Amino acid sequence: MTRRGRVRCPETFIALALFFLAAAPAFPAGFSVFTQGAKASGMGLAFTAVADDPSAVFYNPAGLGWQKHFSVQSGGSLLTKVDGAFEGANPYPGTGFGTEDQHKTSFLLPTLYAVVPLTPNINFGLGINAPYGLGFRWDNAEQFSGRFIAQNAVIQSTDVNPVISLQVAPTLAIAAGADYRLSKVILERNRSAINPFTQSVVDVAHIKLDSDLQDNHGWGWNAGILWKPVNAFSLGATYRSKIKVDYDGTGKFTQRLTGNAAFDAAVAAQLPQGMQDVAVAIDFPASANLGAAINLPADFTVSLDADWTEWSSFDELLIDFANDAIPDLDRQTRWVDSWAYRAGLQKKFGSLAVRAGYYFDNTPQPIADVGPILADADRNAYTLGLGYNTDHWGVDISDIYIKFKRRDTRGQESTDQFFGRYEESANVIGLNLRLSF
Amino acid sequence: MKKMGFRAAVGAATLSALFASPLFSQTTFHKYVALGDSLTAAVEGSCLVTRHQQRSYPKLVADALAISDFQQPLISERAVTSPTGVCLGAVVAGGTITVGAVSQQGVPTNGTLARPYDNLGIPGANAAHLVDLRVANSTGDTANRFAAAILRNFPGGPFDGRNAIEEANLLNPDFVTVWVGPNDVLGAALTGTAIDGVTLTSTAVFEAKYAELLLGVGVAGRTVVVLNVPDVSAIAFTTTIPRVLVNPTTRQPVLVGGNPVPLLGPRTTATCSTPPCPLPEGTLVTLGASALLAQGLGIPASLGGTGQPLPDGSFTPPATLNPGVLLYPDEVALIRQRTTEINARIASVAAARSATVIDTHALLDEIVAHGYEAGGGIVITSAFLTGGLFSADGFHLSNIGYAIVAKEIVEHVNETKGTDFALPDLAHTLFEPDVPVITATGVIDPAAGPFGFSLSMWKDLVSAASSGEFETVFPAPGKRFKTRLGR
Repeated sequence: MTRRGRVRCPETFIALALFFLAAAPAFPAGFSVFTQGAKASGMGLAFTAVADDPSAVFYNPAGLGWQKHFSVQSGGSLLTKVDGAFEGANPYPGTGFGTEDQHKTSFLLPTLYAVVPLTPNINFGLGINAPYGLGFRWDNAEQFSGRFIAQNAVIQSTDVNPVISLQVAPTLAIAAGADYRLSKVILERNRSAINPFTQSVVDVAHIKLDSDLQDNHGWGWNAGILWKPVNAFSLGATYRSKIKVDYDGTGKFTQRLTGNAAFDAAVAAQLPQGMQDVAVAIDFPASANLGAAINLPADFTVSLDADWTEWSSFDELLIDFANDAIPDLDRQTRWVDSWAYRAGLQKKFGSLAVRAGYYFDNTPQPIADVGPILADADRNAYTLGLGYNTDHWGVDISDIYIKFKRRDTRGQESTDQFFGRYEESANVIGLNLRLSF
Repeated sequence: MKKMGFRAAVGAATLSALFASPLFSQTTFHKYVALGDSLTAAVEGSCLVTRHQQRSYPKLVADALAISDFQQPLISERAVTSPTGVCLGAVVAGGTITVGAVSQQGVPTNGTLARPYDNLGIPGANAAHLVDLRVANSTGDTANRFAAAILRNFPGGPFDGRNAIEEANLLNPDFVTVWVGPNDVLGAALTGTAIDGVTLTSTAVFEAKYAELLLGVGVAGRTVVVLNVPDVSAIAFTTTIPRVLVNPTTRQPVLVGGNPVPLLGPRTTATCSTPPCPLPEGTLVTLGASALLAQGLGIPASLGGTGQPLPDGSFTPPATLNPGVLLYPDEVALIRQRTTEINARIASVAAARSATVIDTHALLDEIVAHGYEAGGGIVITSAFLTGGLFSADGFHLSNIGYAIVAKEIVEHVNETKGTDFALPDLAHTLFEPDVPVITATGVIDPAAGPFGFSLSMWKDLVSAASSGEFETVFPAPGKRFKTRLGR
């Protein structure tokens, strides 16, 4: 738990990173967030073989090879959980809690991209965005039936992703970059105990685990290739490496009084006092995207993507308290690799573009792991977009409606022994502005 | 016409195939009868009252199976008026949490029911009682007194001359559970005395009675599920007081020269030829020792005790049982061996009668080792008063414990019958405060000792599991003794 020998980040960078560290609900599968550009979002996120604006730093950095101007693109996504309801079933939590809801606030995820041509064939690109995030917070946290597992689970991340692209031929570009990820996790839950006087379960403490921002980072890399053998057709592929982030943080135990002095005193005697050092590690998965785009007559573009994420790397969640007297949380998550299939369409009217798309995202989360920390599900998403782009500036807006398939743990194996049905839907509005010089 | 006829034939065949398929053959039950002892009746904290009967495992199972009109021999609850026959609960004494009397067993409130009860759990009953007890003596032993209220087969009563099997069969149930055997074995833990044929039913006698019992209820077409006997060291009654001296305030072992100090018992050991001798490893000290420890018994004189041993149980022929509070390793081994034998007979007799077995022995061992994940991050353990599994007598289960048994039974039915009954709602039991409906602050016995268990509580519990064949002579109540520890 010692922090000696760690490099501390400059304060200004921390301030910038904090701006980008928004808690994002995990709308694309798992806790990855793929909505990193409004143009891509309008086209069903099928952008690997298109990658023709500065968000290419994220979607396929090889796409920078054809971008010959210094450009800056800034924007963001507004993610809103439209519906997040849980209906309990026997044996726990039963039907007595009624329908319980996830907190429905909106999250803003900002993005910033820059493209700097260095030579006619070599471009430098920089992206600052948040490709992973989780915000799973429950309303009525003190009454929520799953409060002894999680009331609020948050993963925040900011990536700083410098890349270099090289156009090796008029039809082919390649790119590679480094990926610095700064991340933060929060987990809040209550602790239960049996009140000996009522022989019933009561809340005796609130536990908040909070990682320390400054020392929680990891490094990875990414690469891409884009091939446009003919004007009408392009193929792209990208890869992002796994990034392991080791978090050091603190756990704070706050007693919840029951009103019985003798019992409260007994609880207080056993409750860890002060800030407890805690360590968590998360393996953010590697991913690979394959895409094809076809330019049809009448300024139509069709794009298709198949995206793979190595979620099997997220097979365990271990929250390790330095104090051996406090039990660790060691959860076998057993996620599996997942695929998403995306399709997008664009029709241009001069500088104006109208876009639509669809994607199907498979959840990497096995049913046994579904619970109050995260209940992920397969989902269908429908997208629309609009853009106006000239050589010197551009504006794009998009909207994605995501309908999660119902996830039902009744009668299934459940790590949390927490049974019921989850229903979710979400909406993501995207907007970005580009200036090119 | 010919073509239409063919279509109709295909349609009829498809329909009949569909209805014959498992999709349309969900088993339903119309009548459920539970046979057993105090665990089936829902004794908690040493008494049987409506507050707990409404949460008995048979009642929860009946609800889960959608059985209507499940009747139990309900008994009212009242304020404490007498030192015996009390309902135990947690109370505060001197700022610490201990056990006291919170209410008292009242009178039957459902005694005019014209038919037998669906819950025929009889506190104090062993396998033989369910077979042989045809005429209850309402002033006899525990099983007889409860049978008089539950089987109502007292002389001149509505079911005079009928045993539990016959009353069950009068109801013509299609589902029966049988959980009997704990009193054939675990009574030895309550009396701290393991003697074959005295506190332990012989395996041959148990097998004969159990076979008769399952022959009686295991009629063709009836689903019968039986539960077996837990391990002696899986119950809070034997696991709460450690073998070594603890500081009564911190409950941590007292160390002398860095080593814990064993309590004293009456038997010699390999390293001690003159009693009292330190209790050897593997000895279980029962909750009955609490009040005796408060008198200084079992505590070396050098540490402020009397230096006198805790009593080990014994039997004086022809019929005097002297209960003790110690189970030496050989006694533990004997109880374990008998438990293993009886559970083997339960399994073989059940197999012969097409009944299926729920292994409560394994279930309780698992809970002792790892706790029971009741759902939503709530873990129930076997710890006395604070674990949730056992009631305040440390021997009988709590509402939560009985709800876990009910869940296991419904799960077992679903697995063995291919049904899809909703499991009981554990959350309801977990979060519902279980306190007497009467206003009671609790009556504390000042001599109850560091673990809050008074001599009268122990006596109540022993008499609840004794067959009545023997006279029981308890250690005389001594003067309350204060050790120098923990001051």
